[in-house]
Amino acid sequence: MDVVDNLNAVRNGELSRRAFTRSLLAAGVGLMTAPLLPRRAMASNPDEATIFTWGGYDIADFYPSYIEKNGVPPNFSIFGGTEEALTKMRGGFVVDAAHPCNAGLKRWKQSGLFQPIDTSRLSNWGDVMPELVNMAENVDDQGTWMAPFDWGGTSITYRTDLFELEGEESWDMLWDQRYGGRLGSLGSGGDAWWCGAIKAGVPFKDIATDDAFERISAVMREQRPLIRLYSDDTTTLEQALASGEMVAAMTWNSSAVALQYDEVPVKFAKPKEGQLTWVCGIMLHKDAPNVDKAYEMIDAMLSPAAGQFMIGEYGYGHSNARAFDEFDDETLVGLGLSKNPADILGAGHFMIPQDQNWESRMNETFEMIKAGF
Amino acid sequence: MADVQMSSAPSARSQRPSGLRSMLYKSETARGYLLLSPALLVMVVGMLIPFTILIAMSFWTRDGFDFDTTMSMANYQTAMDVPIYNAFLARSFWISGITTVATVLLCYPMAYYVAFHVHRNKMLWIILMTLPFWTSYLLRVFSWKVILGYEGVINSGLLGLGLIDAPLEFLLYSQTAVIITLAHAWAAFAILPMYVSLEKIDRSLLEAAADLGDGPARRFFRITLPLSIPGVISATFLIFIPTTGDYITPALVGGPNSPMIGNLIQLQFGAVNNWPMGAALSVILTLWIAAVGLVFLFVTRKSQESVV
Repeated sequence: MDVVDNLNAVRNGELSRRAFTRSLLAAGVGLMTAPLLPRRAMASNPDEATIFTWGGYDIADFYPSYIEKNGVPPNFSIFGGTEEALTKMRGGFVVDAAHPCNAGLKRWKQSGLFQPIDTSRLSNWGDVMPELVNMAENVDDQGTWMAPFDWGGTSITYRTDLFELEGEESWDMLWDQRYGGRLGSLGSGGDAWWCGAIKAGVPFKDIATDDAFERISAVMREQRPLIRLYSDDTTTLEQALASGEMVAAMTWNSSAVALQYDEVPVKFAKPKEGQLTWVCGIMLHKDAPNVDKAYEMIDAMLSPAAGQFMIGEYGYGHSNARAFDEFDDETLVGLGLSKNPADILGAGHFMIPQDQNWESRMNETFEMIKAGF
Repeated sequence: MADVQMSSAPSARSQRPSGLRSMLYKSETARGYLLLSPALLVMVVGMLIPFTILIAMSFWTRDGFDFDTTMSMANYQTAMDVPIYNAFLARSFWISGITTVATVLLCYPMAYYVAFHVHRNKMLWIILMTLPFWTSYLLRVFSWKVILGYEGVINSGLLGLGLIDAPLEFLLYSQTAVIITLAHAWAAFAILPMYVSLEKIDRSLLEAAADLGDGPARRFFRITLPLSIPGVISATFLIFIPTTGDYITPALVGGPNSPMIGNLIQLQFGAVNNWPMGAALSVILTLWIAAVGLVFLFVTRKSQESVV
């Protein structure tokens, strides 16, 4: 249908209003159904493994040996957050493997949707760092639940030219009254609450106590008037840091890497209290339709080649110790990583998986504080 | 089904085979329902059933991953007792109230102009006015981020003119930004109903008023405005109802002070993982909107009666 022609026809009085409305309707129906067409056209290949993962992991470079063997990358399905993913899977969405993080491990296990991983089927398993495999809740009498894949830190990215450091780098930077209204934070309690615990000096093993809730709430309330924006969207925080709208913000390492790549003078702080460390990994669905391919896919993700891509391009740590061999010390330190990843992991604070009731209570409390209560 | 029997007209030529078909020929009501059936089916499957589930769920409680399905008013009690819920509700009504007023006030002159002062290519004008709405809602929100941003169009313009020394920070990530974005996003829904009711006004009434000595202002307030009130009312409803529950706009351009009740409901179904509470909040929101709507309708009807 030629829209321009229609407009001309209306202008010249050749087309009645009714006919015009009808062609508008046709155009509308066309627009509405257009998204359905390509989706059907590129409907996922049922013979390949499907991974349910974060945006940004849906590129071929993470799956080198899988592609070598099968000619195509696995199918991707994307989520924006692990809660959303778990909700969708509990609603009946079946994939071969998913990509949660250690903080959710306990609840993901409890959902009964996953099976332990047979690590003997993974050729790269021997190089996976034991500190990551043995994180809380991961290995029990039933086996290993999550194959660790990527890890990194949550800390403060700050503008070295705009933020005047007083003494050492510290979480106090995000509570600095001098920069009220020019600080930013990740909006999800999954990061912010744990950072608040570090600031409040609450040991993570006590994080479920009432006393911990009170102390963390107090520091979060103190911080709230200083925060310009709580955002779940890292790009928003990165743009605000780049423009100088914010001078410091709580981010993941990748934000600092992205900004440094654009030559914005920023640094990813190593707070003296320690940064928050997280590990994400792959869990196998109990009804995975392509189990064999799923193992091939996980093995590919754990390979040093995938790891080098992740470290070099994303600035995140990888679980395969050999992936770090390609990089010199200077590069790794610049990324907030190290030749000896155990150092970084040991210096940081590992989230301890909590149950659903804690998660709900924490999110409720944090939302109330963000709303000003 | 007394209606069916009463309205089925006796037909002399009822030689057709009995059954569904003959019933349809005889009964006007049945024919009516048949015509309605696609819409009814969509309403029942898409609205009634989910809403019933929502109401039922709002009386449950969350128990870890699962629901405790014994009926209780616990969620409603929480919503009453914990101040955050009422504060969010009040803020949502405040933001969408201002949005509604601003949108209607800004769009009325546009609708008026097209209805009264455009004589050729009216259709084209209407299409031009709705043209921005052919792009995705998200794109429009992001374009407002570009306009209102710290280094955005307004700030760099004012800085360039030397009117301000530092970028205005209240523009983005604030309630102002949410209201501006919502007002723009819903403008088409205000223009169209108001245009339709302005267009329908009988011009001879205005001529008569002029003949009897009314000036332009009196003509407007005594004839045009009262006769266009139905359009204003439907515009108000079309904007107020959806914007109260909006959560995308505050999430994208709002700051720490602008989350609305929709954001809270979305959280209950997401991160907080308390679906029954989310369901209860949705029901409360629906009831509040219905109540506000009824009051508004009542007040406007009363005032209209007093005018006429």
